[in-house]
Amino acid sequence: MTRSLSGLAAIALIAVLLALAIGSVTIPPLELWQVIQGEGSALNRTLIVDLRLPRTLAAFATGGLLAVAGALMQVLLRNPLADPYILGLSGGAAVGALLAMLAGLGTLLISGSAFAGAMLATFLVFGLAHGTGSWTPTRLLLTGVVVAAGWGAVITLMLAVSPADQLPGMLYWLMGDVSYARTPWPALVVLAVSIVLIMPLARNLNVLARGPMQAAALGVSVRPLEWAVYLLASLLTATAVTTAGSVGFVGLIVPHMLRLVLGNDQRIILPASALAGGTLLVLADTLARTVIAPEQLPVGVITALLGVPMFLYLLHRSR
Amino acid sequence: MIYRVFLLFFALVSSVFADVCATDDAGHVLCLPTVAQRIVALSPGATELMFAAGAGNKVVAVVDYSDYPPAALNLPSVGNYTRIDMEALLALRPDLVITWVTGNPPAQVELLKALDVPQFAIEPRTFEGVSSVLERLSTLAGTEQQGFAEAERFHAGIAALSEQYRNAEPVSVFYQVWAQPLMTINNDHLIGKVLQLCGGVNVFGDMPRLVPRISAEAVLEADPLVILTGSVGGVSDGQLDRWKNYSRLKAVARNNLLFVPASLISRPTPRLLEASKYVCQKLDIAREH
Repeated sequence: MTRSLSGLAAIALIAVLLALAIGSVTIPPLELWQVIQGEGSALNRTLIVDLRLPRTLAAFATGGLLAVAGALMQVLLRNPLADPYILGLSGGAAVGALLAMLAGLGTLLISGSAFAGAMLATFLVFGLAHGTGSWTPTRLLLTGVVVAAGWGAVITLMLAVSPADQLPGMLYWLMGDVSYARTPWPALVVLAVSIVLIMPLARNLNVLARGPMQAAALGVSVRPLEWAVYLLASLLTATAVTTAGSVGFVGLIVPHMLRLVLGNDQRIILPASALAGGTLLVLADTLARTVIAPEQLPVGVITALLGVPMFLYLLHRSR
Repeated sequence: MIYRVFLLFFALVSSVFADVCATDDAGHVLCLPTVAQRIVALSPGATELMFAAGAGNKVVAVVDYSDYPPAALNLPSVGNYTRIDMEALLALRPDLVITWVTGNPPAQVELLKALDVPQFAIEPRTFEGVSSVLERLSTLAGTEQQGFAEAERFHAGIAALSEQYRNAEPVSVFYQVWAQPLMTINNDHLIGKVLQLCGGVNVFGDMPRLVPRISAEAVLEADPLVILTGSVGGVSDGQLDRWKNYSRLKAVARNNLLFVPASLISRPTPRLLEASKYVCQKLDIAREH
């Protein structure tokens, strides 16, 4: 277990260094080393420390958050198609963010609105699914999918009536864009704290994945565990969407890719998802900001284009 | 005599040591320690305005679609006005960045502010605004002679047109910005002001939004005498063909589906004077039909 995790950690570190070294302005490795040591020209220092480092760390944190949230959702709902957005979280966050943009608020308030929207969506789905007392994954899933469709309708309405000059900004937010992230620290802290919180529960999650009856019979307190996982996954997703908009694909595919290679032990999958999700998003963001520079692509485009062939290859190899 | 020499000396000295200051269209005052030498324009309109202010040789980068004047095509681009490549921008070490109040992404403009890059936000909304922005940009770039002259030329041209068409017969106009969805402009928009200058009455001028999205029914109900739109080079293209289905429309019956060069009328620059002359000529043709 430690071998695969340390391997992933090494790959993550290499990806972060690559992201710091590559950009639309070429910085030779020697000068990069100088900046890391604290010297180097003012321009290089600004480029690396003020632009690339926060953006790379934010991309890593967002990718890690989404991948862990996806893994948790897949365990919670016992459904391989579950992703972090399936219960309407990104929809609620999007409505919050778009409303703030329409009102002309600053970026800090837009992020705050997105977070508030995501948490509102969480409690809305939770309350609706909990309704008559019987709370099954199927009921939660159906409620979530329907509420997500509702949010989608509200988003479409807002896009239809918003002034033409605000549309590009709104669309970029919906596509997911790491350049929105001004500071990576909230996301990194949330990721680190939640990994620490979830690791003790990982063994119980393994048991829960076999079914609630089996889990209860084996001594797992199912309801409290499911609520805790649901709230934690929602918090992770809300933080990720607040940081970089709704980046798609990472939460769904990264846990599956890791399961094909590492098996289905949550004690490995959860931390591995954090590392692999972060790595994938860092690499995707590096490509997104350089491949047709000075044009900037939204990172969600690249995650899908990179991830689909990778996943198909792994699926093919695992036959 | 001594007094005059002293005053002249004082003026020269203070102009060497004073900051170069101007107020932008967002209300912020920008003071540079010296005139700007490396300017980045973050919208095609800003590019045109910088060249018109006489500071074209100080512009080091533009954004996509900065196609006027032709010299701007040789300048490097730092992305689209909706999404800027910050690294490329910073690598050029600009000492002044001209931003667009509503067009540039707020998150990236805030990042520029956090990195202490001097920025000047523009968004002219009236003809006086265009003259004023030319003067202010030329002050910041140290090219007051050309900038103020161009502002005066523009102002005089607009005033002359305004006088010429003051008593012109009003003509109801629908200006089609986009065909699908159907969009127009109200009288707060510069295009609306061009129409008013030429004696046109914008049938959607009183709508609350700057760029309203309307239905074809609203146009049929308003029944304008002229339907106008922008096209490449002012050439007739297919954008207004849909209205030919409604033969009862006054504009169709009298053959008043008219075109103006889009690039002249769409940007808040001195070329609006040429655009206004063009529109006024077209409305005169419509009056005769």
